[in-house]
Amino acid sequence: MNETANPDKTITGTLQDDRARMRTLLPAEDIFTYDFEDMAGRPFTCFFADALTDKDLLSQQVFAPLQHADTKEGTEAVRTEIRAPEVRTEKELSKLADEVLAGNPVILWEGGKEGIVVGTKKAPLRTIAEPPTDIAIKGPREGFIEDVKTNSALVRKRLKTGELMMDTLTVGRRSQTVVMICYLKGTCRDDIVQAVKDKVEAIDIDTIPDSSYLTRFLSDRPYSLVKQVGTTEKPDIFCAKLAEGRVGLLVDGSPIALTLPYMLVEDFQSGEDYFVPAFRATFMRFLRLFALIVAIYLPAFYVSAQLFKLQLLPVKLLLTIAGSIRDIPLSPSLEMLLVLLVLEVLNEASIRMPKYVGMALSVVGALVLGETAVSAGFVSTPAIIIIAFSGIGLYAVPNIIEETSIVRFAMLLAAGSVGTYGVILLTAFILIYLVSTENFGVPLAAPFAPFIRHDMRDAIAKYNLHSLKTRPGALRSPNKRRLK
Amino acid sequence: MKFKRFLAALPGRVCLILVAAIVFIFFSNDFGLVDIQKTAIVLAVGIDRTEEEFTLTAQIAVPKGSDRTTGGTSSVEIEGRGETVPDCISDIYAKTGWVPKLVFCNLVLLGESTTADDVFSCLDFFLRNEYIPNSCQLAACEGSAGELLSSQSAIDDTSALALSKLFSDAAKKSGCVMTTTLRQFSTGYYGVSGSGYMPYVRAQTQENSQGTETASGNSGSAQSSPGDGPTEQKIYSAEETAIFSAGKLAAILPKEQTFAFSLLEENVYTGTFSADGITYVVLKNNGSVELDVSDSPTATLSLDLRVQLYGSRDASMPGEIARSILTPEQEAKASRIIEDYLGGLWETCIRSGCDLLELKTKLYRSSMTDYSQWKDSILTSAAVRIAADVKSVS
Amino acid sequence: MKLGSRQILFFLAAVAPVGKLILLPPQLAAASGNDLLYPVFPQILVQTALVFCVLLLSRRERTVYDLLKDGIGSTGAKIGMILISVFLLYAAFMPLIEQKLLVQSIFYDTIPSYIVFTPFFLLSVYLCSRPLAYTGRIWDILAPLFLFGMAGILLFSVGEADYGALLPFGAQGWSGFTDGTMRACAWFFDAVLLLPFVGRFGYKKGLAWKGALCYLGGGALLLVFLATFYGVFSDIAIIQVFAFAKMSHFFAGLTVLGRIDYLFIFALAFVMVFYAALPLHGAVQMIHDAFHAGKSFSALLSTGINLMMLTIIYMFNFDADSIVSAISGTLFWIMPAIGAAVIMLLLAFCGRSRREV
Repeated sequence: MNETANPDKTITGTLQDDRARMRTLLPAEDIFTYDFEDMAGRPFTCFFADALTDKDLLSQQVFAPLQHADTKEGTEAVRTEIRAPEVRTEKELSKLADEVLAGNPVILWEGGKEGIVVGTKKAPLRTIAEPPTDIAIKGPREGFIEDVKTNSALVRKRLKTGELMMDTLTVGRRSQTVVMICYLKGTCRDDIVQAVKDKVEAIDIDTIPDSSYLTRFLSDRPYSLVKQVGTTEKPDIFCAKLAEGRVGLLVDGSPIALTLPYMLVEDFQSGEDYFVPAFRATFMRFLRLFALIVAIYLPAFYVSAQLFKLQLLPVKLLLTIAGSIRDIPLSPSLEMLLVLLVLEVLNEASIRMPKYVGMALSVVGALVLGETAVSAGFVSTPAIIIIAFSGIGLYAVPNIIEETSIVRFAMLLAAGSVGTYGVILLTAFILIYLVSTENFGVPLAAPFAPFIRHDMRDAIAKYNLHSLKTRPGALRSPNKRRLK
Repeated sequence: MKFKRFLAALPGRVCLILVAAIVFIFFSNDFGLVDIQKTAIVLAVGIDRTEEEFTLTAQIAVPKGSDRTTGGTSSVEIEGRGETVPDCISDIYAKTGWVPKLVFCNLVLLGESTTADDVFSCLDFFLRNEYIPNSCQLAACEGSAGELLSSQSAIDDTSALALSKLFSDAAKKSGCVMTTTLRQFSTGYYGVSGSGYMPYVRAQTQENSQGTETASGNSGSAQSSPGDGPTEQKIYSAEETAIFSAGKLAAILPKEQTFAFSLLEENVYTGTFSADGITYVVLKNNGSVELDVSDSPTATLSLDLRVQLYGSRDASMPGEIARSILTPEQEAKASRIIEDYLGGLWETCIRSGCDLLELKTKLYRSSMTDYSQWKDSILTSAAVRIAADVKSVS
Repeated sequence: MKLGSRQILFFLAAVAPVGKLILLPPQLAAASGNDLLYPVFPQILVQTALVFCVLLLSRRERTVYDLLKDGIGSTGAKIGMILISVFLLYAAFMPLIEQKLLVQSIFYDTIPSYIVFTPFFLLSVYLCSRPLAYTGRIWDILAPLFLFGMAGILLFSVGEADYGALLPFGAQGWSGFTDGTMRACAWFFDAVLLLPFVGRFGYKKGLAWKGALCYLGGGALLLVFLATFYGVFSDIAIIQVFAFAKMSHFFAGLTVLGRIDYLFIFALAFVMVFYAALPLHGAVQMIHDAFHAGKSFSALLSTGINLMMLTIIYMFNFDADSIVSAISGTLFWIMPAIGAAVIMLLLAFCGRSRREV
């Protein structure tokens, strides 16, 4: 609700007064008014946001018909003349002001006790394109954009069923962000839907610029290292998750849709896994898992091998490494930490830098920091190789990169201080943490812990489509069967 | 109320303190733990003894720098002396400042001087130490173990690596070498039979007239390289096997008896033996030692071999070469040769009093009563039956 | 939130045997020589019977505190829970000492500072403050890890094992058997470890039998391990502490592949971490149940108990041998006697409360 409005103000019917009060509520210069009269000389005023309104459509569907009409008394008479399909009425000025701010023009007239809201919004939109975070060689290439209506259209066209519900909520005192809660009635548990709605409605915040803000409020543990809300930019994945019995959230202004409940195993699955043969999908999932494990543990084991347990390395490799690090001034743990930090800085800079200087900075990163640092004896070649592989390996599972990069640092600290035992203890700690995290009653580590046998058919291993007859047991959907 | 708030904030504060502690430990790394740069990686040790003390020669790998202009691994030999083997290790530590790390020690070479007494006076340390693998190879050598380790090998920069090639799986399968590990030797020593074996290494000189520089450096009290003239490069052989009884050297099996022993242990695959200008290759090797004490103890040494003709001093026709099968006469001859080898092995064991074939162990495992009766006299009173069945591969 | 019955079965089959892989094998070899398998048989059978009884206790899905309360009243139940906690803490000594020695030996190439074991208690504090139901989920992960580790180690060791070393049967005689049985008592208390879980999992028909079978299966695996251990080391078995970390080292392929057996060793070591913390967790939970404590009290209790155990372990840092000898020697009777007594008593209370209802 507009904070500056007086909620008790309704339309009086005197156009001059109403116009003045509306202008008080909408003082910004980009909110235009257009005054016109109908054939009978009745004055009308239209309030619209300049940048958000399709003025051509407004002209054709509202102004032209009304200017050529002899409208009778009453809202219905005026409404009949308007040729727009999406027309609503509203009595409260504050709500009418909100509609104008949302991009929907409002018509007031002399003697009218209500205002008419016309749906001729036309916000600047990006074209639908393949999302950069989820490239698919096979499968659909569409991705969500920042407009919730377009996104809902992308979902609706894939799930042509009356069971698809899209409940709209508004969040953010000043942003009035539209949040669409999507679910398949009868497939998704009602208690989860209600819980999500309750949490969203309870949010009392100024603005919601992105869906990631919502994830903080939807998570049972807001300060958790591990994410508890699934994300996707692809409508086909979004719909597939709805079909499994999840709740989806589309947030206006964000191309990233949210799905709940979330399980960690989802991020090891790619949309493409369902479009390629099952054996290929299984292989790729295991490869991702392997890459992630190596990326997290390799720097830690390398450091702990040098500091505490040389036996982890074969003798010849050990001698090669010993030769490489002979003149390095830093201890193995500090050296690895330094190289890891440099990698993170490079990573961050590569995202932020303007593309015009990208080439030059890539040269700096590769040659100066890599080659020259080794030649100068600041770091050793094995360390560079390990960090390079580790850096690449983390991106095998990009959705959890924020968490895994922190875990990698933590493993390195544990390895450098306590050794291999520290790595094992930290792994144990992470395991305890993961198994004890739940969201909306669904364990994060399912279907591994608790072990759900049927769900293992689409966990890391991917069975043939014919084997996936029921929905994931962890979600406890009321409608279990999806394939006859 | 305050107390409750304190309790609620406690986990977070404790976490913070813990993380700070771990970061402190990480950056200080002050546990006195040894890292790779302060460690001497010992590849092999050679042990000699005099009446008063032990001399342990450790062959330490020297990592090459990142600019590798030559291949291979270089090494340095450091000698330590002491009343016991751990004293020698401490001596090395004191001289070099490097912590000798024996986790990579893959070879323990016992000099001739150590084999006269119970070798476990040397090996006790290796068995006792948790950080030394029981899978390290054992070998005895002619002369001084330290000198052998310090010698320059003709086939590798590092003598330990050259020796380890001798004890490889491939060499074992050839039947020429009977390898053993500390574990195997220890189980034999502490077992009922009290016997053991290890390869006996001899070094033969191969002169290099161009006087090639050795890759071994010198440090501490290492042996210096021989002279200024042509460098003596050694070829090592381990075709003989030293057999031990109660930890002392009992006898040295010659090459043929080593081969026979390998056959009995079913180690041989594509190993060869020769007789009368014909070389045979063993493609299937079944061997066993059975003990029967029904009336009086009789040991049966049986071998069932499938062999193929491998080579001949005389030229053969293409058809014969293609088939490479043995004639019945050749089979019989091969059988006799093998039986002779087995007979020689048996004689050596009996003469030296070494229960190499573990007759006492077999007795112990089969019957406690028989064991009590025969345990002291089994070697002297047991008769032997030797059956070597050599057949051609068809 | 409850555990699943399957998780209990995983514990019995795959987690319970892991605590017997460190010091028990050489102790048995010292006491019973090549007859080391025989003392383990009665232990497994007794524990199987006790596990059966504990699982029967869970039929009415009431916790140990509820059962004690029905039998001896609220105050008596509190005292009983404290005593069981103390017993669990006593039972924790052996796994903790083993864990400490293991850490010093297999994770480091030289003897480390003894405080490297301290981080274990940090983990234990965290674990013990979590509800027991999460432990069940951890077992879902640990069970396949144990099988993976055990399979790898046995696979690498079997080729080097001379199973004939187990002959002749009965060579050590009756004294070997009794000595071995006596010593093994200190390691067999898995039924008591299940007590804190009573009433926390849904009892399904036949669970007691399934649990007994699973424990027998784990016991069979343990016997195979012991046989392979003795086959590999035979007469030097008594000095092979942490045998599971050494058995696979003789596999010929390691010279080519490198020490990949560490994968299996670390997998088992990972499972052992949780096994060592389990009695502590149980002790914390018992006191928590007795006093119906809240979450913050649970965390404080966990911290206190772990701090106390850490202090005791470090006080006797250089007397580990004496403690092991005492627990497995002089005090061998405590585990079987008190463990069985507690379970029988609870069964009696369970029967009485059913009749009264």
